Amino acid sequence: MSTNRHPIEQEELMAYLDGELPTDQATEAMSHLELCPECRTLAADFQDVSQTLMAWEVESPEVGIPSEINVALGERLQKRKAAKVNWSNLENRVITRRWLWAGALAIVCVAVGLQLTLTSRNRNEDRSTVYPSMASIEQYLMPDRNTEIAMARSAAPEAISSDAKILVLGWRGYEPANQGKNGFVCMVERSWMSPFNSAEFWNPRVRVPMCFNPAAARSILPLTIKRTEMVLAGMSKAQMIDSIRAGFANKELLAPEPGAMCYMMSRAGYLNDTLGHYVPHLMFYFPLTDKSSWGADLAGSPVTLNPQFRDGPEPITEFVIPVGKWSDGTAAPVM
Amino acid sequence: MTSDEALMLEFQGGSRAAFEELFARYRKSLYGFFWRRLNNPERAEDLVQETFLAVIRAASRYEPRALVRTYLYGIALKLVAAERRKFLTSSTLGHSAPEPKTDGTPEFVLWVRQAMEKLNSPDREILMLREYEQLSYSDIAELLRIPINTVRSKLFRSRLELKGYLESEAKTNPALRASAVQPHPRRRGLQ
Repeated sequence: MSTNRHPIEQEELMAYLDGELPTDQATEAMSHLELCPECRTLAADFQDVSQTLMAWEVESPEVGIPSEINVALGERLQKRKAAKVNWSNLENRVITRRWLWAGALAIVCVAVGLQLTLTSRNRNEDRSTVYPSMASIEQYLMPDRNTEIAMARSAAPEAISSDAKILVLGWRGYEPANQGKNGFVCMVERSWMSPFNSAEFWNPRVRVPMCFNPAAARSILPLTIKRTEMVLAGMSKAQMIDSIRAGFANKELLAPEPGAMCYMMSRAGYLNDTLGHYVPHLMFYFPLTDKSSWGADLAGSPVTLNPQFRDGPEPITEFVIPVGKWSDGTAAPVM
Repeated sequence: MTSDEALMLEFQGGSRAAFEELFARYRKSLYGFFWRRLNNPERAEDLVQETFLAVIRAASRYEPRALVRTYLYGIALKLVAAERRKFLTSSTLGHSAPEPKTDGTPEFVLWVRQAMEKLNSPDREILMLREYEQLSYSDIAELLRIPINTVRSKLFRSRLELKGYLESEAKTNPALRASAVQPHPRRRGLQ
């Protein structure tokens, strides 16, 4: 394969299939792959090798925790408990016999606490200073419209996204690239859909491909449109929050319709600097709901409460459920 | 879902339930890890147990800088290396290492296994960590202490080599190839 004809190297193509390319390169790879039969053949070869290797499946016997581990576990937990009790006894003796020590200890604690607070505040400040304010609009736009369309479509399996309406971000907001036939709407969200207090609210690298079902397209998508318009109009965060609250109060913005959900199964997305591509998943939207009603965030539960709207002006609860495959059918990494 | 790292910290703090959750999450994948590298189901089970015992013993030293997944596979890699050294020592003393178990193993699995054995050992390890343990390039780089670009280039090379081996074998036995790539939601019986 000549690099003159192919804008990406074979190794990069492999990295793309593995979900290991940064967003910009991934979208370039995805667009090229759509147009290049030679690279599609190579991609199919890589997928074929992976599928063949999967034939070497290992079935593990179903067993509980072996007794040896149970014993070691019991010993460790008991030791820990004993250490806690001993420390507590020691502390009592110190306090009763030597008040001076207690005072000193308190001073040390205050000093350490103050230090920790300052360190933690410094850390947060360091993090938020990476993206302290909005970058130039160009940095949030994607230079190639077709690349953005392909990325938006990659949010859901082809059977859904091929007939979906596609929105593309322009200078004045999202613009339709087609009309769509099935009521789904696919788009690439930007960083300002993060919580308002997120350190990455202005991260220009963020690209989040999403495909809303018809119920979410009617009730959730307007939030994205509104936030985007306000951002591009140069409003402050406080103004945006007020405007969203007012929007819900005057029914300009609506509560999530029953059944509102969206697909986020693109391997080309970049959610933020912490999560990177993350894993393919589905999101479900509700009016404010106790997370326990879905068993979210409990041990072993695949359901997570998404912090996107938590403590924000939108009265919405959003649950996330990871799925095993990217929209192109390849296996997702283990969480 | 509570993250692995949060569970590990809860376990450090004395939660048995957190450990049990980690055990449930990783037991099967660790079993597969050992099985594929040692071809011995009994040892695989023993080593899964040793991995978790090591976790219990070293829990107080765990720092959330490392992903629990990387931490566990780091322990597992050390155990595999020790196991291999043990076989090497015993074979120099005149004892032979146990033969890989093949009874009842489907032919296509033997075929895949043989193809993997043709790769050189470091490349094979990278490929297995990616394909079976599904670790990211950076996780693999951290585990094997090699640059991430080396991970990528070796992975690329080994996938192409493997494709060559599999294709040449498939020419001589097309039925086997078809059998290996058929969808198999739940293929049984390696032991």
